[in-house]
Amino acid sequence: MIDNIQRIQKEVGSELAKVSDLDSLEKLRVHYLGKKGIITSLMASLRDLDPERRREMGASLNSLKTDFEAQLDSRKRDMARVQLDKELTQSPKLDVTLPGQFPIATGSFHPITLVMEEMVEAMERIGYQVASGPEIENEFFNFEALNTPSDHPARDMQDTFYIDKGILLRSHTSPVQIRTMKDRQPPLQIISVGRVYRSDYDMTHTPMFHQMEGLFVEQSVSLADLKATLQYLVKQLFGNQPLRFRPSFFPFTEPSAEVDMRCILCKGAPKECRMCGSSGWLEIGGCGMVHPNVFRSVNYDPDRVTGFAFGMGIERISMLKYGIDDLRSFFENDYRMLEQF
Amino acid sequence: MQVSLNWLKDYLAKTDAILDPKVLADKLTMRGISVGRIARCGTSGLESVVVGRIERIDKHPNADRLQVTQVVTEPNGTPRQIVCGAKNIATGDIVPVALPGTILPGNFEIKLSTIRGVESGGMICSGKELGISDDTEGILQLPKHSQLGQSLSRLLGQQSDDTLLEFELTPNRGDCLSIMGIAREVAPLIGTQLRELKAQKFKSTPHRTSSIISVEVPDPALCPRYVARVIDSFKVLEAPDWIQARLKSVGQRCVNNIVDITNFVMLEYGAPLHAFDLRRIQSGSVRVAECTTPQGFTLLNGQIVQLEPGDILIQDGDRPIALAGIMGGLNTQVEADTTTILLEAATFNPERIRRTAKRLGLLTESSRRYEKGVDPNTVLMASERAAVLIRDAYAANVYHPPIDTLETGATERNIAVDMREVRRIMGMPNFTSDMAADTLSGLGIDSQKKSINIIQVKIPVFRTDLKESIDVIEEIARLFGFEKIPAARPMTSACFDRMNETPYTFPQRAKTALVGLGFSECIHYSFTTDANLEHFARRSSGTIRLKNPISDQFSTMRTSLLPSLIQTYAYNKNRKAPNQRLFEVASRYEASSQSDTQAKETMMAAGLLGGTLTDNSWSSKGETVNFYHIKGAVESFLRTLTNAKPSFVPAASHPAFHPNRSADIFIGALEIGTVGELHPHALEILEAPSTVAAFELNLDALQKFERSRVQYVSPSKFPGSEFDIAVLVDKTASAFDLTETIRAHSSSLVTGISVFDVFEGDKVPEGKKSIAFRLTFSSPERTLQEAEVSGLVKRVIDGLAQKHSATLRS
Repeated sequence: MIDNIQRIQKEVGSELAKVSDLDSLEKLRVHYLGKKGIITSLMASLRDLDPERRREMGASLNSLKTDFEAQLDSRKRDMARVQLDKELTQSPKLDVTLPGQFPIATGSFHPITLVMEEMVEAMERIGYQVASGPEIENEFFNFEALNTPSDHPARDMQDTFYIDKGILLRSHTSPVQIRTMKDRQPPLQIISVGRVYRSDYDMTHTPMFHQMEGLFVEQSVSLADLKATLQYLVKQLFGNQPLRFRPSFFPFTEPSAEVDMRCILCKGAPKECRMCGSSGWLEIGGCGMVHPNVFRSVNYDPDRVTGFAFGMGIERISMLKYGIDDLRSFFENDYRMLEQF
Repeated sequence: MQVSLNWLKDYLAKTDAILDPKVLADKLTMRGISVGRIARCGTSGLESVVVGRIERIDKHPNADRLQVTQVVTEPNGTPRQIVCGAKNIATGDIVPVALPGTILPGNFEIKLSTIRGVESGGMICSGKELGISDDTEGILQLPKHSQLGQSLSRLLGQQSDDTLLEFELTPNRGDCLSIMGIAREVAPLIGTQLRELKAQKFKSTPHRTSSIISVEVPDPALCPRYVARVIDSFKVLEAPDWIQARLKSVGQRCVNNIVDITNFVMLEYGAPLHAFDLRRIQSGSVRVAECTTPQGFTLLNGQIVQLEPGDILIQDGDRPIALAGIMGGLNTQVEADTTTILLEAATFNPERIRRTAKRLGLLTESSRRYEKGVDPNTVLMASERAAVLIRDAYAANVYHPPIDTLETGATERNIAVDMREVRRIMGMPNFTSDMAADTLSGLGIDSQKKSINIIQVKIPVFRTDLKESIDVIEEIARLFGFEKIPAARPMTSACFDRMNETPYTFPQRAKTALVGLGFSECIHYSFTTDANLEHFARRSSGTIRLKNPISDQFSTMRTSLLPSLIQTYAYNKNRKAPNQRLFEVASRYEASSQSDTQAKETMMAAGLLGGTLTDNSWSSKGETVNFYHIKGAVESFLRTLTNAKPSFVPAASHPAFHPNRSADIFIGALEIGTVGELHPHALEILEAPSTVAAFELNLDALQKFERSRVQYVSPSKFPGSEFDIAVLVDKTASAFDLTETIRAHSSSLVTGISVFDVFEGDKVPEGKKSIAFRLTFSSPERTLQEAEVSGLVKRVIDGLAQKHSATLRS
């Protein structure tokens, strides 16, 4: 009987290899495992054997059976897969180039928000925190505390929007610095961003625009620190661009400087550069050491602390970054602009 | 402020110093004396512009405004044909002719060309085109005896090669509104010193100025110094050529000797001067006083201005004769037959001058200098300089001494500067007091070492901007050069002490959430029209208006973001984008007496869906936007941003929204916004056609519900079960009320209640609707028994029947 089992095992192997469709596979199964199948019959004949032989043969026979069943299954799955693949290949083909149909449209951030967030994130990475304050301000925070006395040209009605006597729309984000310093003690590393207003409306001015300003107050902050900080920020925004610090004048800082960046279009080798007006440099902001009078106005002792402050127009940076050529387009919200961001 | 390099050289010790204009301009700019423009002036480059004589003038056959001329440009030469547009030419005129190949100022190249079908071999030029005068009136007429063919650079030899620097000065540097001031800054940059003009010596004259006229200055705060000097025995003629040449080189118009010399000295020293015709001063007294009663006054340019109290006037007795520091009066101006003048040199209160000049829109050369501060010592020097120039050129008689209300002049102040502070501000620990002293001495500022750390700096009187130590430190840093200060990375512990950044971060998160829902961000001006707000704002609490708006379009602070958003929708719809999702996150402004700014600013988020929810596509038609779309957007938005469960109640009348298709949104009892389809009337006003649904939410109110802390509940390990109930109820019953009833009659085992079907009409009795709920049951502890579930379902059904007369649909 053991010979018989071994023979059947070989036979089954070669038979399975020959089978090529599900029908023949079923026939093969019936041939061996059907009610009158070869293996079934052998199983039945086991009961004629003595118990010891029966156990021995039974085990062999069982393993033959499970082995065969497993092979049958595996062949069956293979064949089904081949069959399915054949059917799918014959099914109609989709035009995969038709537009997709996901029901949610793509939203977009305004380019000013994008640049603002980029600047805030860059400054937060080096420890700055965002301070906020109102857009409707009073003269103390917008001017007086910033060493801009009442006879200063910047306080003329022509430049600032007034709401009432002493109440105005902030003309820069600097009042946030004053409010924060009045609330907190140094050291202080803050930025303020947001809407600011000036009474000007032409090709290069809108009555509302956005600023980001930074303020750093410590025991001995210096021009050297200011230079490194702005170099860092500009590198984050525009890559490695040389900067120059041009002495200038602002009432609230002294020394003061304008910050120029090497022109990103002509790289400082201008023949006829439309971006920098052939100067090789682009003005990107103002900065300086906080004026002692500003510290005095918030009850900081200028002998104990120094500080630097800087400010940039977000529209300006955004125009340089994205090549936007008309300031006013920021506030038209034309979808053909919005959808590009 | 414009300065010609040749003029500048007059005041520098090393006159042969080679000043490359570009290099010099860069150096000055990097020292804070910003050069905005470099221009060529003078006659270099005019070699190929030659003297010509017009032989013949004909009308241009094809252009009314043009003429065709024949011009001879060499002795006995053949005429060349030139098309010309000027009116002031006649046969026989001697004119400048730019030959082809000439490059005129402004990089304008003259070429052989055909103008309206007629050949033109050059250009007949005006003084302006040649860059030698401001006269745009017409063609420059040359002297009759000029030699034909001679180049203009030879003809006008005295104005040789020159370069004009145009400065953009900062408001603190009034002292640089003069050639002398610029020369002071240039000197250290090219390694030389300033060549100061020698102090003038006058002999006392038998008649002192004070014997002819008196000066009264009751309030020295208005006029710290007034120097008056009488000059007589001269004739009003042309100014000396060299003075005219200098004035022309910086684009000044020449008038007569008195006007030109006072202008010349003003440009030289930065101290404005004024000459009165002494004949016209009737009272024998000049008074500097504040205007007391409003009155009209005629300026020397003929303009009549309205004087107001506070204006500083120069008066002849009670009669105004000049608007101090701004412009003289017509009644005392120098005329052709003037032989005696009163020369005024004075300083005035800068703020007053600025205020008056600004009010009257009179920004004159004089007022520009006075409002930035003119120092009292320079004023005396200027008076002397002008007197000498007039005396020497016209043998005039200068009365000496003059009247001077501040005979002592002003003395130099000392400022003590602590070198430790210099080092601290510059960030250069090794910056010595010698380096500071050297740096300052370049500008002629002396200093003395007082102790190991203190230097005493002697401030020149003309540097009115240097008032305290920090001003001197700035001066040191500026002159040393910012570029030489090394960058250093700061160290601080400031970042350990965090402040509340939510007012910035929460609106940013709101933007991110809305972008995630497919909305595009807009940014609009914070101000709009009154009318816009009237139609869109519910609250009547005070709107805030600007006192000085640019226009009515931008006159009132927004109390709602919706009007701008709808207008932008209409704008884009007109540009073929009918389907849009827009949003804005910005402040709303309301008057408030509680705040130190009289205003309350609330951060809002507004969104808009217009047209269809999605564009029509090849596979489906876009659905017209409706209440439930925008409500869904709001729900998703709130779920992203907050932990709160909003409730929606029919909107109390809101002018912007459809009365039956809008809802107010609450969290608990707190109202946080409104959502709905817009009122057709509102859309009509804003010319926004088609359906628009929108929301406006108060972000400041939402902020306290910010999704930050989550308390996790682990999902039940036991299978739950579901049960559907469909009931007939009154049409008006709200899903919210029904849900609340279900909740009230169930237990904690009911973990979900959702509406899955609503319908009316067929098979549903009149006035009723069918609404179907799916209830989810589950327990964290065990598998629920069927009896438990059916018991709860029965309770719910009974509850619905009792509260809403609901009947079960089978």
